[in-house]
Amino acid sequence: MKTDRHLILIIVLACTLALATAGESAQSLLDFYANEAKASDPGFSRFSAERGEHLFKTNFSTGKPDTPSCTTCHTTDPRKTGQTRAGKDIEPMAASANSKRYSEQAKTEKWFGRNCNNVLGRECTATEKGDFITFMLAQ
Amino acid sequence: MANCAAGADVTRVWDLCVRVFHWLMVATVATALVTGLSGPRNVLNIHIAAGAAIGGLVAFRMLWGLMGSTYARFSSFPVHFTAINADLAGFVAGRRPRYRGHNPLGSLMVLALLAVIFLSVMTGVVTLGGVDKQGPLAFVTSYNVGKATQRLHQALAYGLLALIGGHLLGVAYESVHGQPDLIRAMLTGKKAASAADHPARPAKAKPLLAGLCVLILLVGAIRLIVTLSARPALSVPAGPLDPTYAQECGSCHMAYPPSLAPSPRWIAIMDGLPNHFGEDATLEPGLMSRIRAYLTMNAAEKWDTRAAHELQGSNPLDPLRLTATPFWIRMHQGIPESVFKSRAVGAKGACEKCHSDASTGRFDPQDIHIPERAFQ
Repeated sequence: MKTDRHLILIIVLACTLALATAGESAQSLLDFYANEAKASDPGFSRFSAERGEHLFKTNFSTGKPDTPSCTTCHTTDPRKTGQTRAGKDIEPMAASANSKRYSEQAKTEKWFGRNCNNVLGRECTATEKGDFITFMLAQ
Repeated sequence: MANCAAGADVTRVWDLCVRVFHWLMVATVATALVTGLSGPRNVLNIHIAAGAAIGGLVAFRMLWGLMGSTYARFSSFPVHFTAINADLAGFVAGRRPRYRGHNPLGSLMVLALLAVIFLSVMTGVVTLGGVDKQGPLAFVTSYNVGKATQRLHQALAYGLLALIGGHLLGVAYESVHGQPDLIRAMLTGKKAASAADHPARPAKAKPLLAGLCVLILLVGAIRLIVTLSARPALSVPAGPLDPTYAQECGSCHMAYPPSLAPSPRWIAIMDGLPNHFGEDATLEPGLMSRIRAYLTMNAAEKWDTRAAHELQGSNPLDPLRLTATPFWIRMHQGIPESVFKSRAVGAKGACEKCHSDASTGRFDPQDIHIPERAFQ
């Protein structure tokens, strides 16, 4: 019985730790973008999920012709599986539906780098990236 | 086997073995012709099975022609010059000499059918080895040899169709002129005897010997085929894709095996990553040069698969796109656009959705399974 209790304790601790790290990763990513945003815009106060949603759903048509908006591939529901133009499934963008999201800065930066260029035809600002992630974490 | 021997009954012509052989041949050749000439590509296994059965049947018939009953034997076939001449002359005059077994023209037809069927099986095995890189000759047959043999295999199929037509016409002609029980004889084995019939030298069947020969041949052939088929196919990519390549390029589309494009095409694709088929696919320089080296070193020129050969032909209007190549278009003719656009497939470039072996670059016909949902 005693070992059982220990085991449960260890599992609970491990889960808490895992959750904390996951949360911390996304949070540290947001902190990183917040610092960048403050550096470029002294008036920056905080990220907004509403602005992030707007970014996600707007049809920009200023980037590459085949990808006018994020929703072209990711669908309008961030909790759903998307599909690339080449037929490959894209795991959901919402953190609630895909715990692996926003845990790796290099990966997040790589895809913002490519896809902002694809959809908007320019790089995204730190504020836009933070807004986007804030929206996705709230989904 | 004892039933195979002709009894004392003078009206008995075709022994059981000949009759069973004949109708099995009809069934298997019909299957092979239908699956070969008009079937979808993924029925290749049925075609192969029919071909294997035909090969066995021909081998058996050869043996039975040497050790079967009187009219089964090749030695009873009146195929010498004088008999053929007399048969032709009788044909013109409208009065042909009567034979209890095969008459001279009929014998020639039987031998021609056997020869063409035998050659069809042989050329089929070479085609399978070279074009599909399967079967006992895959380890030694190049694509070009397979492709050339395939043309011969097809020509033989049409030749066989013509011969079958001739055979049926001959049977129809004989049935009208003098031998009304010809077709029934191939079912019952019995024919009406006539005193005017050309005699054949009676021969006693050796069913035990024939059975033994068939057994030895069958076991030997199966062992040989299994052993040879297990050898690695000639110049076919083996092993998994480079993990970095599969990871980086496989996130947006199937990681296409390098064998699907020649190296100049890979170089052009890697040079155009900022606008990669309409999307930004830039990679950091280190990764980019690693992947580029992997692709060019394993490009189509290095391999001997059908895809590696045929996909090298490019479309001048869209030279880098796999699905724009003339070969790709030809192979996917008749598949509705809606199938590619369906959620189940997604795009023309999603090879793996229908070709379960796509990541190997083999694209075996047997591995084509279009998802049901793609048609809804």
